[in-house]
Formats: sequence, C-alpha cells, structure tokens
Amino acid sequence: MYHLISDIIRQSEENECVFWEIVQQADADERGVSKEESFETMRKMYQAMREADEHYDPKVRSASGMAGGAGQLLHEYNETGENICGDFVGKVMEKAIKMGESNACMHRIVAAPTAGSCGVIPAVFLVAEEMLHLSEDQMVEAMYVSAGIGSVIAENASLAGASGGCQAEIGSASAMAAGGLAYLQGGDAGQIADAAAFALKNMLGLACDPVGGLVEVPCIKRNVAGAVNALTSAQLAMAGIKSAIPADEVIDAMRRIGNEMPSNIKETSLGGLATSPTAQKRIV
Amino acid sequence: MNIFDVVGPVMVGPSSSHTAGAVRIGYIARKLLAEQPRKVQINLYGSFLATGEGHGTKKAIVAGLLGMQTDDERIPMAFELAKQQGVDVSFGEANLKDAHPNTAQLILQGISGQTIEVVGQSVGGSRINIASIDGIETNFSGDYPTLVVHNQDGPGYVSAVSTLLTEQGINIAYMQLYRSNRGGDAVMVAECDQEVPQHVMERLKQVDGIGKVTYLGMMGDE
Repeated sequence: MYHLISDIIRQSEENECVFWEIVQQADADERGVSKEESFETMRKMYQAMREADEHYDPKVRSASGMAGGAGQLLHEYNETGENICGDFVGKVMEKAIKMGESNACMHRIVAAPTAGSCGVIPAVFLVAEEMLHLSEDQMVEAMYVSAGIGSVIAENASLAGASGGCQAEIGSASAMAAGGLAYLQGGDAGQIADAAAFALKNMLGLACDPVGGLVEVPCIKRNVAGAVNALTSAQLAMAGIKSAIPADEVIDAMRRIGNEMPSNIKETSLGGLATSPTAQKRIV
Repeated sequence: MNIFDVVGPVMVGPSSSHTAGAVRIGYIARKLLAEQPRKVQINLYGSFLATGEGHGTKKAIVAGLLGMQTDDERIPMAFELAKQQGVDVSFGEANLKDAHPNTAQLILQGISGQTIEVVGQSVGGSRINIASIDGIETNFSGDYPTLVVHNQDGPGYVSAVSTLLTEQGINIAYMQLYRSNRGGDAVMVAECDQEVPQHVMERLKQVDGIGKVTYLGMMGDE
C-alpha cells in the first residue's frame, strides 16, 4: 500500500520494479483480484478513452448551447498547418477540447479523475501512443502511473472542484498525465514525480467558477490548458530538471490552498467567471 | 481507495454528481421497487433542481429507473424510451427541509402495483446515498447487496433477520435500524457481503409484523 508519491518511489526501489507495478500490485491487493485481471480492467479504461475520442460528433451541441463545435474548428485549423504549436501539441489540443465537448453533450467519456477534466489524460496519451509509436500495453502501464498519482492526490488533498477548486480537477488531471507521459518517454520514478510536481504547481489556486453551474465554461477549454501543461511539465522532468518542492509537498500545498479558497469559487457559481456580466446575461 | 474511481468510471457526461450519480439514484430506486415502473414522480431539490437541466439530471434519473447504468449511451434518449415503454413520468420540486444539495425524491409505482418512495442524494463523484425509503430515514450507498426490511417496531425482528442470514452463511457488513416512533413503523437496513437469495426474502415476508421486504442485488438487472 502507498499513501504518498514518495512511498511509491521507495517501494519501487526496494522491490526493484517500476512505478506502475507498485500501483498495480496495490490495486490487486485491495480489490482481491489478480494482477492480470487488474491490468485488463485498466486496459478497458484506456480503450474507453479511445472510443470516446473516436466518437466525437462535430455537429452536437450541449443543452445550454454554449458547448460544441470547437473541436471541429481546431481540427480544421490544424489541417491548414498554421498552428505554430506543431503537429504533436496541435493534436493534443484538439483531442482535449473534443473530449470536453463530448462530455458536455452527454456522450460517453472516462472520468479521469473527473468528468469535467476528462479530456486531459486521453489527449496526452492517445497522441503519445500514435506519435511515439507505443504499444497499448505501454499505454495501460502509463494509466497506472496516472492512477497512482491521482490516488495520492485524492487521499492527501482532493479531486473535487467543490472542495478544492479547479486545481483539484484540471490540476490533478494534468499532474496525472504529466507523470504518465514522463514514464512513456523513459523517465524513472523520480522524473515521474517531478513531472507531476511541475504540472500541479502551475495549476495551484485555480478557481472552479463554471458559468451557470454547467461543466462547460471554462471547463472545456481548460482541458486544453491542462493537457499542454502536462506536455511541457514532462519535458522539464525529462531534461533532468528537478522540482524544488517535492511532489508530496506540492499536493499538500494544494490541499491547504483548497481549504483557504472561498466557497464562492468552489463550484457554487457564486463568483469568478460565473458572475461576470456576460455569464449573467447568458444564463437566464 | 479504488483506483478505478480515480481513472473511471466510464460514464455519460457531463457531471459525475449531477449525471452519473443521478443515474445511480434512479437505478437503485428501480432495484428497490423490484419491477418495471409504470408511474414515476421525480421531485428535485437544491442544486439538482437549479442546474439539473443543463446536466441532464432528469434524463439521468429516468434512465436509471429504466435500468440503465452510468455508461449507457441511451441516457440522453431516456424520455423517449420511457414513453415507448409506457412509463408515465412527471417532475416537480421536492419539498424537503435542509436536505443535501443534490437530492431527488422518487415516488414510484410498478407494473404490478408495488409502490415505493426513495430519497437519494448524490454525494460526490458518482457516489450516492439512499437517505430515506417510504419516509423513514436510511443511510446506505448501494455498493453492497442490501436488504431493507420494513417491520413494526418491537423486539425480535433483528434476531429474525440475522438468524435467517446466518443460516445462509451471509455476513452482515453494516446494519442500521430506524423507526418513525416507538412501536410504529421501522426499517432495518442490512448491507451484506454476499447476495441474499429470493427464498430468504420470501421467508422474511412470512414473519408476523414484517411488512415489506426490498432487496438491492449486485447482479445485473432483476
């Protein structure tokens, strides 16, 4: 069992195995299943992410009319070759926004860690699989890395916007994706932890202020920010840069910030963007 | 901590609490009714009432009542499906005091005339709590096989239930007792580690002073 990122790192050193195997073993122990069964359940989660991405419908709009169509616009823009972020990042942006829109439009997604932040991990992972020519098994391993990071955040801070603000949702998703990507690029446990720490540090203090209380504005586009932040954070770690503050302490800081955040900006729609004049006009 | 609550569940959006949790409330209420509903009155409260429209909360509850799970892609079509199946659905505001912000009150009538009133709360993620059955307070998650026994308040009923379960090798994980008033209506909720067979329910129903016995099984749809 592990409670901290540092537990996972220590146990992987002691048992001469890698980060994801510690998470897999703990799941097998906890749920009383074999490691193989656990792996296949995780594979289903990854496959469900891929299906959700493939089933994006460019025509669908949310009930409020605020969400839909942005993924298609970004797709068309990427096709022109004018997106200066390049092919890899352009694709990640596109998949992130598409998944956020699919969620808002009542399509099937994988909450990872939440429905509102469901675009971050699949955007990073599906593009990494394609562009880095990785196997599905490797992607499932990376899912364990993300799950391990997310579990530690859930235990020591929060994954819910209502208790921790958006840092707990998009911030956590970004940290989970960054750690997974570092693993896929050959990073060791320390680099996984640093990637997660960088990603989360960039998201600390983020308010949860959805317009009309809906998982649409600003949630959908924040999936893009979380996914791109995961990419850059993993690259910092892979360059050998160390986080000045260890991942566990960043998570603890996130918890304290979440506690100190006023309730107006914790999913109540009583502050921030939700009370902007345009938001007030839009929601009747 | 189940890692598949962190990476997962697979669900129809947009909100784990207002959509997936709402599906689960409907699904569990239907299981407690133990038959296809014919007439359902859905009363919403708090945030469910205020932001439910944009989150598809109403459709989600109806979908659950029709036996759909949180990942069922037919959830957005729940109203049409209810109509096709001849289920009469109506909505209102729940008149509750100081309830959880995400609360739904479901008043159900089944095809054979069975009735039940369930109050469910969506308490975070897609987790839920069944807060009352037929007006008597309860407190269970629906994560375990759950036996709900309605009896007259008095001695011997707990022992009758526990004896029958023991005979079947069923372990009670959690047990709660509620009553409206001394000697009045009481409800016993037993969350078990194993499934409770149908014949145990039948035997319980024959016990003098036990009225209704409802059961929430974990195996598929009834």
